[in-house]
Amino acid sequence: MSAAPKVEALNPLFDKRLINAFVDGVIKTLKTMAQTDATPGKPFIEPQFVLKGEIAGMVGMVAPPLKGTLLISYGKDSIFHILENMLGEKYTSINGDVSDAVGEMTNMIYGSAKTTLNQLGYNFEMAIPTVISGEFKITHADKGATLVIPFNLTNGSTFYVEISVQQ
Amino acid sequence: MFPTNTKFLVVDDFATMRKIIKKVLNELGYTNVEEADDGKTALPLIQAAHDAGQPYGFIISDWNMPGMQGIDLLKACKADPRTKSVPFMLVTAESEQKHILEAAKAGVSDYVVKPFNSATLKAKMERVWAKHNPSTQAKAS
Repeated sequence: MSAAPKVEALNPLFDKRLINAFVDGVIKTLKTMAQTDATPGKPFIEPQFVLKGEIAGMVGMVAPPLKGTLLISYGKDSIFHILENMLGEKYTSINGDVSDAVGEMTNMIYGSAKTTLNQLGYNFEMAIPTVISGEFKITHADKGATLVIPFNLTNGSTFYVEISVQQ
Repeated sequence: MFPTNTKFLVVDDFATMRKIIKKVLNELGYTNVEEADDGKTALPLIQAAHDAGQPYGFIISDWNMPGMQGIDLLKACKADPRTKSVPFMLVTAESEQKHILEAAKAGVSDYVVKPFNSATLKAKMERVWAKHNPSTQAKAS
């Protein structure tokens, strides 16, 4: 058995394994639950939060001493495409059903990534996601940078996984 | 496999997951499916169904829920002589060894890790049927 990494010595946003865990979690969740292919684009760092899309699932990531936020933002075209494949139902507006589905997908993606990361020596705990929609703004407590991973769907739309970590 | 008139209870705080599980059950021919949005709501339903002489034949529950978690619902069912033998499956995003062990220790019939597809759910249900009906399984083989 290999020794657990010294997490405190790493800046998690630059840990390639963290990025891969979320990329794999997204691809696996969408492929399994919605028979949808999501292609990851080039990750980038954003100095402060920029609103992307109309709805987002958010979950607090806690792995003492690390604290962070996972935000998955969708525009209408991307979330409606995913939900149509997942539930066999057409959506034309952001309603309660869409919010619920965004929450459940956040839960599954975080759960999948968390399992991989914890096997690597992190110690993330499970948490219940929240969903935000409309015009929203997020201010991180430490004004930390955000890692953004775009995912492209076959209908030409894009959604974004955004991770911020405070140590 | 479970007969098509089996009465199911699907417990999840997300309506989407209840909808997905219900859809799979319907595709497998099960139409007697009821829902609850967390353990706190589910427990009195399970007890009342038993007392009314129409017990659930299979409980499928999420783990991570507000109110009462799936693992606590499982423990409550196993602690009650009226409901301890009802097949109970946890469907959850928790796939770490410690969680699987905790669920096994609490007496879970089987464990499905999200994300999953309908083939996985069906295979797990067949395993639960075999586990709870060993004599039927022996006759079939």
